[in-house]
Formats: sequence, C-alpha cells, structure tokens
Amino acid sequence: MNKNYFAGIDVGSTAIKVALVDEDGKMAGEHVTPSGSLFHKNSLAALADLLAQTGVQRERVRYLIATGYGRKLFKEADDSISEITANAMGAFETGKAYGGVRTIINIGGQDSKAIQIDDTGSVVHFVMNDKCAAGTGRFLDVAARNLELDLEELGEYHFKGTCAPLKINSTCTVFAESEIIGLLANGHGKSEIIAGIHYSIAVRTARLARRVGLEKHVYFDGGPALNKGLVAALQEELGCQIIVPEFPQTTTAFGAAILARNEFLAEVEDAH
Amino acid sequence: MKPNKPARKVAGKSPTNVPVKALHPHLQALRDAVNQVDFNRFRFWFQLVAFVLFVYGGYLAIDLGSKLPFFSCGYNKEGRAGVCYLLPLQHQLGRPLAMLFTAAGLTILTGFLTFALWFIVLNKGWCGFVCPLGTLQDWITALRKSLGIRYAKYSQSQFAQLTKIKYVLLALMILIPLGIGGGLFSHDMSPPFCLICPARMILPVFTADFSQFTVDFSTKTAVVMTVLGMLVTALFLVGSFVKKRFFCFFCPMSALHYLISKAALFKLKKDGDKCTRCGDCYRVCDMEIKEIADDVTTKDIMTDDCTLCLKCVASCPEPGALKATFCGIPIFEATEAGFIQRMQKGHSDAH
Amino acid sequence: MHTKAHTVIPIQPVPYSRSRQAGESQTVLDQITKDFDDNPQAMQYFYDLFQKVYCQGEAVPHEGMLVGTTCIQAPEELIYAFGATPMRLCNGSYHYDQRGGDFMPAKSCSLVKATLGMLSAEHVIPNIGKPDLIVNPTTCDQKKKSSAMIEGLGYAVFDLEFPNVKESEASRVYWQRAVREFAQRLRTLTGKKLTRKNLRAAIAKIARAQVAFRKLHHFRQLSPSIILGKDAFLVTNAYFFDNIDSWTAAVEKLNEELAQREQDGIRAVQKKAPRVLFTGSPPIFPNLKLPLLIEESGGVVVADETCSSNRMLYDMTAVDEWWLNDMVDSLADKYLKPCTCPIFTKNDDRKRRLLELVNQFQADGVVYQAFAGCQVYEMEVKSVADAFNQAGIPMLYIETDYSPDDKGQMSTRIEAFLESLKAKKKRQA
Repeated sequence: MNKNYFAGIDVGSTAIKVALVDEDGKMAGEHVTPSGSLFHKNSLAALADLLAQTGVQRERVRYLIATGYGRKLFKEADDSISEITANAMGAFETGKAYGGVRTIINIGGQDSKAIQIDDTGSVVHFVMNDKCAAGTGRFLDVAARNLELDLEELGEYHFKGTCAPLKINSTCTVFAESEIIGLLANGHGKSEIIAGIHYSIAVRTARLARRVGLEKHVYFDGGPALNKGLVAALQEELGCQIIVPEFPQTTTAFGAAILARNEFLAEVEDAH
Repeated sequence: MKPNKPARKVAGKSPTNVPVKALHPHLQALRDAVNQVDFNRFRFWFQLVAFVLFVYGGYLAIDLGSKLPFFSCGYNKEGRAGVCYLLPLQHQLGRPLAMLFTAAGLTILTGFLTFALWFIVLNKGWCGFVCPLGTLQDWITALRKSLGIRYAKYSQSQFAQLTKIKYVLLALMILIPLGIGGGLFSHDMSPPFCLICPARMILPVFTADFSQFTVDFSTKTAVVMTVLGMLVTALFLVGSFVKKRFFCFFCPMSALHYLISKAALFKLKKDGDKCTRCGDCYRVCDMEIKEIADDVTTKDIMTDDCTLCLKCVASCPEPGALKATFCGIPIFEATEAGFIQRMQKGHSDAH
Repeated sequence: MHTKAHTVIPIQPVPYSRSRQAGESQTVLDQITKDFDDNPQAMQYFYDLFQKVYCQGEAVPHEGMLVGTTCIQAPEELIYAFGATPMRLCNGSYHYDQRGGDFMPAKSCSLVKATLGMLSAEHVIPNIGKPDLIVNPTTCDQKKKSSAMIEGLGYAVFDLEFPNVKESEASRVYWQRAVREFAQRLRTLTGKKLTRKNLRAAIAKIARAQVAFRKLHHFRQLSPSIILGKDAFLVTNAYFFDNIDSWTAAVEKLNEELAQREQDGIRAVQKKAPRVLFTGSPPIFPNLKLPLLIEESGGVVVADETCSSNRMLYDMTAVDEWWLNDMVDSLADKYLKPCTCPIFTKNDDRKRRLLELVNQFQADGVVYQAFAGCQVYEMEVKSVADAFNQAGIPMLYIETDYSPDDKGQMSTRIEAFLESLKAKKKRQA
C-alpha cells in the first residue's frame, strides 16, 4: 500500500499520546502510554507501538508533528507545535460531527486550559492554568490515592452518593489531602467526598472557561474527561451541555496529526 | 515552531517600508525643502515684506481696497496700500439707521463679502504673517529677547477669562456705531474701535506722521476717547514687550475672523492618532493655546486665539500630526527631520 | 574519649566572572549572540559592553558625581547640566531579585525587588560605584515606598514628586515646581550653578542620542525586519549605564550598517515571521526572557512600548526661547505630557500610542507583559485588551516574574500565540 499517513505525538508530563491520520484526514489509530522518566525513549516506543498496531510502515508517515511539554525533545519530529493549537485543531475536527465546536476545555495531568476557536479551527483566545495543580488531573490522582481507589472508579462513585457533595475548602492540592483524610476520619462517605472534589475542580475550570468566553458548542477533552462524574459536575457548573469525545485523551495528538497533514500538503503545493 | 532562519541576501529586493503614496522625486524634494525650512527666518522675511508693502505701498500708488482682513491702518494716510476693513465697517454701521434699510445698506453686505473673500485665502494666517500690528509685536518680542529678558505667561484660568474680551470688543465695535446711527451716541465716538486701537497711533509713525498722538479737547467724548486711545497704546507697548502677541488676544478682527473661518481655504489640521501629546507645540505657541497639544479628536484645530503663525507645525516632531493645508493640499507639514534641524539650530545658536 | 575529626571546608572566594550571578548574564548574552545567525556587526560593541560589565564585572566609569535614577521620569538633562552623570538603576537580575526577596514583601514586583537587592549588595553589578544621590520619582506605589528603604540602606535619596493625574493644569504646575526643586538639589549636591550654556549643551547631548535612537526605531518599521528586537532591547538597555557619547556613536554606526542592510536587501527574519509589538513591564538585561522567547519561536519584536526602551528615548523637547527657566519648564513638560506610564489615572494616551505603533510598524499582534505584583500594569490589561479587541488586533497577556523556571509555560503560550498570528495571516492572504 502506498498510502500516505501523518502522525501527531503529544509528549505530556504524565502520558504520551500518539495519533495516526490517513490521507483523507481520518483517524487511523491512536495509542496512550505513560511518560515515565525517559521521555525520548518512551516517545519512540509509543510511536513504534502505534505503527505496529496499525500495520503502517514508518516510511509511509510523511510528516510528524510533536506537541506537549516535551515537544522540543522529540527531535525525530518534522516540526513542533504548541498543544494549544494542536488541541484546537483536534477538537475542531472531531467537533464537526457534533455540529461545530467553539469553546474547548482541556484538563491535563498538570495543567488546564480553555480555548476559543473560530470557524476554521484557529485559536482566537486562550487562558491557561499551569501554575497550580489544583483543578488538574494531579488533584484527582491525589484524591484517588487517599481514598484508596483507582482513577477509573471515581466516576461511578460520584453518582452513588446519597447526601449532598461535600465542600472541599483547600485551594491547594497538597493541603486538600489533609482535608480529605480528615473528612474520612469524621465518617463522611467516599461518594460525597469524591463529588466534592469533582465540584471543586469544576468550579475552577468553569471560571477559566468563562474568562475565555463560552460559545456553543463546548468540548471537553484530556484524560480526566473520561471521568463521567467530573463531566456531570462541570456541566452543572457551566450550565450548558458539554461534548466529550470517545477518546478525549488523544484529541491533541489527533490535532497534531491533522496539522502534520496540512503542513505536508502545503509544502507539496508550494513546490509546484 | 521553527526558529528564525538565518538572514539571506536577496539581491535587488529591498524590504518594503510602510506603504506611503510615492511622490514624484522632484515633488518630494520640494516638499522636503519646505518642511525642513528655517522656519523662523522664512517668517521674518515674509512679515517684513508684508509690512513694507502695507505701510509704505501707498507711495508706489498700490491700493488693494478698503476691505483688508488685517490692520493696514487707514490713518496711515500716505503710506497705506489698502485699508483695514474695520474702519469702513464702523463708518458704514454708523450711518443714520434709516439708511441701513436702503440700497446704501447693501454696501455693508457687499463690503463684508469682499472682506470675506480676502479672508478665506489665508484664514487667520493674515494675522500671523501679514498684519503690520502683529509683525510689530513680533519685532518688540525680538527686542525683548535681545535684551535678555524673559517673557510672561498667563495661567490657564487667566487665559480662559481674557480670551472672551475680543468678543466683547467686537460686539461693542458693532453696537456703538449702530448707536451712533440711531442718535444714542455722539459722532465723536466714531469710529469707536479705531479711536482706541494702538495701530492708529503707531503705524503712521512709520511714515513720520505723529499727528495721531494728540488728545482731542473739542468735546468731552473726544477727550475720553483719545485719552483712552493713548492708554491702550501704552498698554499695547508694555504688554507686547512682556507677552508674545499681547494684543492679538483682545483683537476684534480676530473674533470676526473666527466667526467665518469655517469657509477658509487655508487651514491648520491635526491628525490626533499621530499626536503623542508631548506638548512641544503648546510650548512654542505665542498665544498659549492648550488645545493644540491636548485635543486629539478635532481635525480643524485652529481656535479663536490662533494667529496661524505655524510655529506649532514647525516644532512638532511627529510626522503628519500637524499640517497647514491650502484647499486640502498640505503646504507645510510637521516632519521629524524638520523638527530636528530647527531644534539643533536652537541648541547651537547664541542668543 | 573519642573526638570525631571534622573537616572545615574553607570558603573560597569565587571571582565574579565565575559566579552564578555572572552565569545568569552569560547565559542570556550567549542566547542573544549565538542562537541567532548573522547579527549586525555593529552590535559587537554592545555585546562586548555587556560581556565586560555583566559577565566580567568590570567597573563602569562616569564623569563627575554619580546620580542614580530609578525611573525615566528623572530629567537627565539637568543631571548632565550640573556636570554629573545619570545612571538608571532599575535592575533585571534574578540573583538580585532573590536577594531583595529577603526583606521585601513576597508579592512585590520583581523589578523593585531586584533594584533593592542590588542596592543592598556589597559589590554591585553593574559595577558603577556608589551613587552620590539617588533620584526616586514618586511614580508607582512600590517605587514610592522603596524610597525610605533605599535611604535605610545608606544612600542619599531625593524624592522627585511626580503627579498621578496628567491632564490637570494643577499637576502640570506641580511637576514643573518639582523639577525646579530637583535642580536646586543638584546644585547643593554638585556645588555648581545651572547656566544656560550648560543646560543647552546637556539638552543637545541628549537630543543627539534621541535622534540616533529614532533612526534605529524607524529602521525597525521595515518589513521584513532587518534587525531583531533582542538587539534593539540590548541597545536601549545599554543606555542605562554606558557613556552617552560612546553610546550615541555606537548607535549611529549601527544605523549606518542598517542603512546598508536595507539597500542590500538583507533580512533578519522570514517574510512570514509574525511581527509583535511588546508592551508592559520593562524587560531589563538579563531578564530578556519574553522577547527572546518570542524571537526564538520565530516571531520578531518590531516595536515596544516599555520604559526600558522606546519610552525612554522617544519624546523630544522643543524650546521657544532659550532662557534657563524656559528650558527647565520645557523639560518638565516633555517628561510629563507624553508619558504613557500606567501610574496615571487615565490611560488614553497609552492606548492611542499602542494603536499607532501597531499601525506604523504593521504589527500582527501584541504581547503584554506584566510582572506579578505590578498592580498598575495588571489593572490596565482590561482597558488595553478592550481597545485592541475593538481594533481587531490580537493580544496575548502574560503575567510573569524574573524566575527562569516558567520558561516552559511561557513558550507554550507564546508559541500558541505566534501560531495563531501565522494562521490569521495565511487566511488573510
């Protein structure tokens, strides 16, 4: 097969996400793996895994764009692009199926962002919270650990609660740990605590999103978007319906792959 | 994103500047020469020629009519090359009221029209470049400078009060002759403004005519008027010594000008977007007009006190922020090069 | 009895050039010189200057008495007229920022912390010696309050009273009087009289420097750019402490080279490099973090509205009659009237200036930097953002400080912004 493929690799602080896109811009495969401490080695491995998974030869990947915090380290890439632009493009493309997306909310392992895009998928405005772990995936990690649960279980526990969600007062993830332990010790239920944590994150995220301006439709991606409880809390805070894609973790990598395809086609056109 | 690629020599293709309407090179050279002119020297010579023309032109039988929009004093009987409009205006208004409603009254309108036609050519530029009384004040200022004496300034509140006086004088200049025509005032008050105008006494002196320096004892009114005239002239001489263009603040001709200035062909325009409000124009303005610096929305920036002397344009460092236009065509514009040249002259000039 | 022998590690004095503080400056200077190709040759003067002063710690000479200034509002013409030398003390070093953090409130602006940190140090870099007087205009709150602190550190300080409202006649008169007070103070300090001749010469000296700067400023209007912002910032930062005559000569040489570059068609960036206007808290060497990030990411800083560059040298003085009082009042007016510092109540002049700069320099977008803790710049973000929004000009607001550890986050934002500018340009093409 002599088809062309394009790849995007999102080298995040917690996980490495890779996405493959074909000539027509359709998703051909995606893969998520923990970053570990050896970013470069693990990135190469992630790419290799994805290619093995999809049966595509490396030479057929005509353009590769790296994004995420570790993008500059991945020298095998043809170009690097900020995760904001990549996320925007990824959300724009997948959002077409839902009637068009204008506001993107992303909660990552260590940061959260809100992006406003226009009708071509270009970034109009963005705000980031990358100074503080509160309101990011790290908060959920800490909470899960304290409650002795798996991350994947947090979502279902959210809906099990019989009482109102508890209010988590600490603004700092580290101090919130003590608060959670204290609540457990006082006999409060895990569900109410989890719901409280979700609302705490939702409030912060909603504030961020409002700064960028909420426009229909609102799209939510990043690893934590898999958490249905968090999605519910966020929807309630924002007061509007949120679109969550099937694979929220790889939206950014997918966007990078789409941009890789665009860049390649543009270069081909320039050459003519 | 890729970092900046190294500089590449591209033969022949030079970087483009902000697109500016390209002028014919000769026209551009002319424009540059005008904008970078030694402004003070240019104005000095212009004023000198105008002064000689209107104070002595009569000897060469030059007569430019009696509707002139500046103080080409009628009392300078031999030398005048035309008469200041205010004199015939007051006489016309001073005719018996009944006459005003006859055909003779039409002459007031035609007279005014002639005046207006003269006026619109240079707008208030007649004040700044031609008026002999104005020129005289500038010479007195030069005398003061050569004696090493500083000038006086008004505070903003003083300015606000004093600037209204010219309208009061204009009103009186029109009402009193009407009053005379209506029999309310004696003819010895006619022409009321000329009797107190310093030009009446001073300009004839230039043709060795000292006859105006008298007090007319014939009637009480005449005494009052002529003494008033002496006082005003004295005030004029002292005032213009300590303050630049002292008289122009109170000039009824200036007020009259301003009322019809909208129609003028010669204008002072400001582009507020380019103005940095540095106040350089305000600093050099003889009339201490603040709006020239602070108003960034008005385009037609000439105020009622302005004499259109264009010193502001000459001292503005922001290209295009201020310009003098004739029928919309820029004649003299603020340029950086012009500013720098003129200030550098100031840096090195010995006083 | 068993005494454990303990080793005493002697304190080895490290020469300045090998200290961490010098390392900070060296890193930035290396970035400026080595990360970019084809720097103008005339820039070597400035590279060498910063190498000597910031990396080797060489002494910076001055003529007459040394008057330190903490703000561009201090009329330098007066200082020169009294035979003294002015030097701007505002500091950009993270090392001093940390030092100042020892005794300053945690939330203070990095610039003030660094300046105070520097003044509290034993050996000050740049090595200018101890100022005979420090002039501290009462502009922003933190500067105002640091006046007493600086005095406490053992310096002679003069509070130059600067108004907070620029439109009123009262503040204009107030400022004129303050400038005269300053002249009086300088007279006491230097024991010299202010003469017309000296003041004229001082005004002429600074005017020459301003003319040279303006020429450089105009060269940056060319598209594609022929000189990068990192170099322009270095040039204006050098003005803080370099001898003004050598500085002016060096800039004039640079202008000659740029004129040649223009003729030869040499560019410093690609045609599609986004053109950025930089505004806000001043980047001062070695804290050229954001401008460098912008240019390393493929953008070019074509113009700025900051007090460490453009605002310091742009506005020129006009005098009508060259009397002593007239010159002093003209200077006062020049320092107050066009000033676009955010310490004023209204910022209409700043907004107009920014819009005009975007227009003149064909900027594609604006980067607005505010140091964390700088309330005045932070509070103006909204009105400036609204003004740019209305004009359809993209703006990126970044709050940062002197610490080098947010480079990752900064580069993400800046790259995203530059990418959006490029995409916009492509769409409009």
